[in-house]
Amino acid sequence: MPQFIKHSNLRTRSRVGVPSAWAPGRILPAAVATLRDLVVSNSPVKSYIMWIDGVGAWQLYAGSSFSIGAPTFESSSADVTLLANISRRHATLHYESDHWRVTADHLTTVSGRTVDSAVGLRSGDQLCLADRVKLGFRVPSKLSSSAVIDFESNHRPAHTVDGIILMVDHCLLGPRCDQHICCPDWPDIVVLYVQHGSLYCRSSLPLNVDGKLVSASFPLKHGAVVDGEGLRFRIEEIR
Amino acid sequence: MKFTFVPEASPLEGYTIKRAIHRGGFGEVYYALSDSGKEVALKLLNNNLQVELRGVSQCLNLKHQNLVTIFDIREDRDGDHWIVMEYIGGRGLFDELQRHPNGIPIEETLQWLSGITAGLSFLHDRGIVHRDLKPANVFRDQDTVKVGDVGLSKYISESRRSAQTQSVGTVYYMAPEVCHGRYGREVDVYALGIILVEMLTGQVPFDGETTAEILMKHMTAEPDLSAVPEQLREVISAALEKDPNQRIQDVEELEHRFRDVANAMGPSDFSIPPRKRPASKRPPRPEPASQPKPRVASDLGNQSKHGPETTAVVTEYWNKLPVPVKWIVGGVVVVMVLETGLVRHLTSGASLGISVYLGYLLARHFFGSKTTVQSEPASSSQVRPPVAAVQEPGTVSVPPVTTPHQEQPGPVPQKPQRHRLGRKLGGKAVCLNPATPRVISKRHRFSDLTNSLSISLTATFLVTLGVYMTTSLLPQVVHAVYFGSVTMMGAWALMILCKIREGHTGDVMIRRLTQGMLGLGIGFLAAGLQYYLMLSGDPLFEAPKSIGASWVIGRVHIADGTGYPTMAAFMSFFGVLFAARRWWWQTDSFRTSRFRISSTLFTLLVGAVVAGILHFPGTLGATWALAISAVVQLSAGWTPPEERLPQQEIPSTNVSEAMAANMQSGEQVPAAST
Repeated sequence: MPQFIKHSNLRTRSRVGVPSAWAPGRILPAAVATLRDLVVSNSPVKSYIMWIDGVGAWQLYAGSSFSIGAPTFESSSADVTLLANISRRHATLHYESDHWRVTADHLTTVSGRTVDSAVGLRSGDQLCLADRVKLGFRVPSKLSSSAVIDFESNHRPAHTVDGIILMVDHCLLGPRCDQHICCPDWPDIVVLYVQHGSLYCRSSLPLNVDGKLVSASFPLKHGAVVDGEGLRFRIEEIR
Repeated sequence: MKFTFVPEASPLEGYTIKRAIHRGGFGEVYYALSDSGKEVALKLLNNNLQVELRGVSQCLNLKHQNLVTIFDIREDRDGDHWIVMEYIGGRGLFDELQRHPNGIPIEETLQWLSGITAGLSFLHDRGIVHRDLKPANVFRDQDTVKVGDVGLSKYISESRRSAQTQSVGTVYYMAPEVCHGRYGREVDVYALGIILVEMLTGQVPFDGETTAEILMKHMTAEPDLSAVPEQLREVISAALEKDPNQRIQDVEELEHRFRDVANAMGPSDFSIPPRKRPASKRPPRPEPASQPKPRVASDLGNQSKHGPETTAVVTEYWNKLPVPVKWIVGGVVVVMVLETGLVRHLTSGASLGISVYLGYLLARHFFGSKTTVQSEPASSSQVRPPVAAVQEPGTVSVPPVTTPHQEQPGPVPQKPQRHRLGRKLGGKAVCLNPATPRVISKRHRFSDLTNSLSISLTATFLVTLGVYMTTSLLPQVVHAVYFGSVTMMGAWALMILCKIREGHTGDVMIRRLTQGMLGLGIGFLAAGLQYYLMLSGDPLFEAPKSIGASWVIGRVHIADGTGYPTMAAFMSFFGVLFAARRWWWQTDSFRTSRFRISSTLFTLLVGAVVAGILHFPGTLGATWALAISAVVQLSAGWTPPEERLPQQEIPSTNVSEAMAANMQSGEQVPAAST
């Protein structure tokens, strides 16, 4: 069983687009709590793809600053690459001091406002790159600052994914729509987070990784298949 | 939801499964990448359903931008068949409707309509009718609408209009004439009309708690179009005409008429007041389990017509009992029958009852037959089996029409032929049951049988132990060994026979006769084993009623007056017991529940009665019947109703005939992310 701590013990911080009013007495997995204080390093963004049975595929980026651009054959391509007629590095999303903001190298608008240098992002904003690539930006969970990018025009990465998670603290997968990835048939929540440069997973559900029963919190290696009652997903590290 | 293949599995050479997409009507669908990275949807066909395979083959080379493309059909190393098809990642019409509970904006509605019409026109032009058009089968890739699930389509050349063996389609979208086995392209027009209403209002026009209720409304009720903009009601009504001949004849005409009216309307005309949601909400997802329970179409007209009311009341009362109470009642009845000498009274009473009933049957045969003939013209049941055998939650299938070229003149009073399929049990309809014909692979059949047989060892031990501990029938261990051995032999014989025949339909009498023959064999072994274990003359076999009574049929001594059963009595007891019960309803994977107490009790009573008639020891006979019934039910493989896959079913009285008769085109389950 995972270690649970009362939310009231947590240090709360205000953030843009993420209301700081936490429901008192709410119980959170310890991972959620500890990760709120996790210092996200400025190391290069780590990229994963999650294949979730019966739900979809999601690209997961862990870091604090995420560049968006068109794919190149060079190592210097953007973190989030979209098959679109945009620049190799078109815009960058940053998470700093509990705020999301976007800086633009090329024509970018946020909900109709042109980005000159940097503009703050709020949950529900629409990012528009080069007048044609439309992306939805939302921070669905009050428990996390991680953002979800939805494809509102038909521009996507090379492989079809249902969305992109920009993970700055953790990523919540569960049956509710206010989680980053809504998995309607799952019995409970599963939390992903990065610790010491590795992706970890924790849940109150009994889970197996590659067929072996694991404890409440466990690292996820490239190619790990996590399954439990009514759920199964696989994590691949892209680079 | 668990899927067969794990991520990274590669059942088909050249493709790697990345994730499961969903479990559709005909099999599991996976998202996979080819070795070079091409995205495809792979559909695993359940049980090598040849009918579907042929259907898909027909559609393999159909190319249209508004149809989901099939790339290939492949066979894996295990002999399972896969359909390799286009992967579509966009949001489908079903998801759009979920997002817009009060209706989709008219511009989008027209886009969807345009794509669906183009795809359907292409199919109709090639003599194919989709027959399963519904929002869950309509997808959008980029801005192109694609119609999938063409696998349930049928060729509709004029001569074959009414000859098809299978009706399909989710009941919300099912045209009334489908219930009579008629499938013209008007079926798709009707479905498209329903979809249009749903896109405009967010609600289907015919809704209900059960499939039967919805079907009934399709056939008789006028659609409630109050929420549809007034100008569009005429064209929608014309698309939803009950009589296919009066209906708009093709989808293009529907689209043109709809588009003309919609274009002439101003934006304010589409401000539709949200209609009050009916008490029965539609299921949020198209999973079979959440659909209204399917029922037989003929139930509609016959709900209160047939069947003795007392039986219905008793059945209903029994079904309402909580399960623990059923077990307690069952146990009490068993002990009462076996331990209090009630067997003797039962057998005497039953013998009397049977004699009276036979007399009544004879009397009716000679004096009352004319009335019967008048009330039920023989032709009506022969020409058109009207019962829609339930195929899939939300879909209904119709048995083959025996006169293929005969046009349906219209609704005909229907006679329930397989009414058991849809009879309400325990408040819920039985959807797929032992009478449901289906194709089961040899491998599956064999593993099911071996599992059942191995479990029966434990079940026999437990049941024998139960009898040994709770009754005074078996005084010594050797008696228990004897009793258990015969029970197991009987259970094995029945399970082997029934599992081999599972999924097939055939003459019930022949099945009963075969079972009876097996029973003779088991009786022979039981009698032989008695000598082998030196139990002959044991009080276990004493039937006081037969002391002094001799019963000889020809040269066969059923009772020789000693009070102990003869070899012939053993054989005839088991023979009659096996033939008297429809044992396949106790062994089939699709039986109502894993263990039915009522069924076991009834078998006990049948055993007691048969034993009484045949001068066989009553208590021993009744207990054997009970034990065999319990063992077969406990050990025979069982599929929970929610896991019964409708695609295993071939709605025909003869599977091979159905395969030969079916002229299917392919089914495509396009991959849409949820």
